[in-house]
Amino acid sequence: MRRLLPFVLIGAALLAWELVVRSGLWSPLLFPPLEKILSELILFFSKSESLMEAWVSLYRALGGFALAAVAGVAIGMLMGRSAPAAALLDPFFSGTYAIPKIALFPIFIFAFGIGSLSKLALVFLECLYPIVIITCQGARSVNRVLLWSAQNMGESRLRTFARVVLPATAPYIFAGFRVALPVALIVVIITEMISSADGLGYVVIYALASLKTDRMLAVVAVIALLGLALDRALVFLRDRLVYWEKLETYYV
Amino acid sequence: MKISLAFLALVFSACAIAQDAPLIRFGRGFAAEEQVWLMSARPDLTPNQGKRYQLKQILFQANPERFQAYLAGELDAGTAPGLAVIFARAQGVDMKIVASVCLEAAGREWFSTTYMVKDDGPIRTVKDLKGGTIAVVGIKTATDLWARAGLLNAGLAPDKDTKVFPLGFPAMGDAVRTGKVGAGTFVEPFYSAEMAKGGLRKLFTAVEAVGYDHELLDIWFGEKFLKAQPGAVRAFLADYVAVTKYYLANTAQAKRDLHKAGFVRTPLEVYLKNADWKRDANARVDVASLEKLSTFMLDKLQWLEKPVNVDSMIDQSFLPRP
Repeated sequence: MRRLLPFVLIGAALLAWELVVRSGLWSPLLFPPLEKILSELILFFSKSESLMEAWVSLYRALGGFALAAVAGVAIGMLMGRSAPAAALLDPFFSGTYAIPKIALFPIFIFAFGIGSLSKLALVFLECLYPIVIITCQGARSVNRVLLWSAQNMGESRLRTFARVVLPATAPYIFAGFRVALPVALIVVIITEMISSADGLGYVVIYALASLKTDRMLAVVAVIALLGLALDRALVFLRDRLVYWEKLETYYV
Repeated sequence: MKISLAFLALVFSACAIAQDAPLIRFGRGFAAEEQVWLMSARPDLTPNQGKRYQLKQILFQANPERFQAYLAGELDAGTAPGLAVIFARAQGVDMKIVASVCLEAAGREWFSTTYMVKDDGPIRTVKDLKGGTIAVVGIKTATDLWARAGLLNAGLAPDKDTKVFPLGFPAMGDAVRTGKVGAGTFVEPFYSAEMAKGGLRKLFTAVEAVGYDHELLDIWFGEKFLKAQPGAVRAFLADYVAVTKYYLANTAQAKRDLHKAGFVRTPLEVYLKNADWKRDANARVDVASLEKLSTFMLDKLQWLEKPVNVDSMIDQSFLPRP
């Protein structure tokens, strides 16, 4: 029974959808039946071109995310463990976090072109902020007793960082990654919807322009599945790398 | 006292007529629909408005959203490119084109959507776009169709030989000048503004791409509304044709009125100088051109899964007799 629990809400949502469809209150062009969406979904997975579109979006999302992960962890660590770096960078990141970076996309197009680079750059920028801020928070909250112990044992700054700070911050780093990864996917899809000749965002806008809502929703389902798969993969990786801190909650 | 009572009775009866007149919820766009906008900017030109119908214009940025609003029961009518209505009909949307707004037409006196390249760039002919890019304003829009038609004419395969990208009109000029795209799509007022800046050269126009004059924008109504309120539709179209004739005879004044009413944000002096699309004084639809477009969409672009009966999607019986 417990294993079925995660599917209850999804099942309820699908049931509600089908009830809306069968009520006849709205046009089937707005609310296509599940069987039509499913048939489009099967069609999507049976075509190599469609899988290619998914791959294009995936590599853009993962490319931008990987760059943001490297830069974000480095900047976050620096801000978390160095007072001058925090004084320099904190106002910048706090002050610009709320800017909807997607508004800068036209500038990115001019700077990096219409192809993948502009999308990758925007994904990098959008993912950088949560990774930096959460990593910084983690680096700041390293138990000082652990740091004193390392110093008392005569560890160098580098070894203290590698053996104490980094492992203690790792759960925060992965928390940042988990926030940033769906953002990467969302940004890629939006940028592809705005200006692209390939990728899942392009397929969404193409289906929408043809009033093929069933096809559009099938692609939306693919994006959701992709997001779920990426998240599960990240959690799997986290559980292997941060094995000393399981994602377990004690429910009262 | 008697005069006051009579005046009040007159006001109340006028209000009652206005309230009885059916409301047309009309989805409009943001370009090339001057006559439609003028109906709201200058209601004094529409004698039937308020009496035989009421008009509420709602602005939409794109066609799919307009059709979705119609399907959701939020619109009764609107403007849309003929090809967008062909798409909608192909998906079974119950709407009909009832009048023409404007056409892409050849001739010095009319504006036709123009594809331009960098003046001193390497692209001299459409064939030179092989391996390059062409920017259109949206996927499966009229600008996309013309771009693909232009490429096909030059023996190029759209998407394979030349990438077709969506890009906003305001960004086209700089994107072409900086070489980010090989060619871009230009409509008024951007066309005049970019030509004034210089550095761009015409590659082909929409009419040259498809090879004939054709419908650009049309007025459509939902079939249910047409059946339920034929009188209101006739009254609306009578006013629309009258306004179109006024617009054609007094274009400068009409443009000033539209600018004053906030329908157009382009600086007035630029807007007044812009070339205009061809508009039929009687708002008659060029059915043959839509049939040709539909065939092109089906055969050459594979944009349609099956043929669309264009005749059945047009009903000009509500228009006043010329």
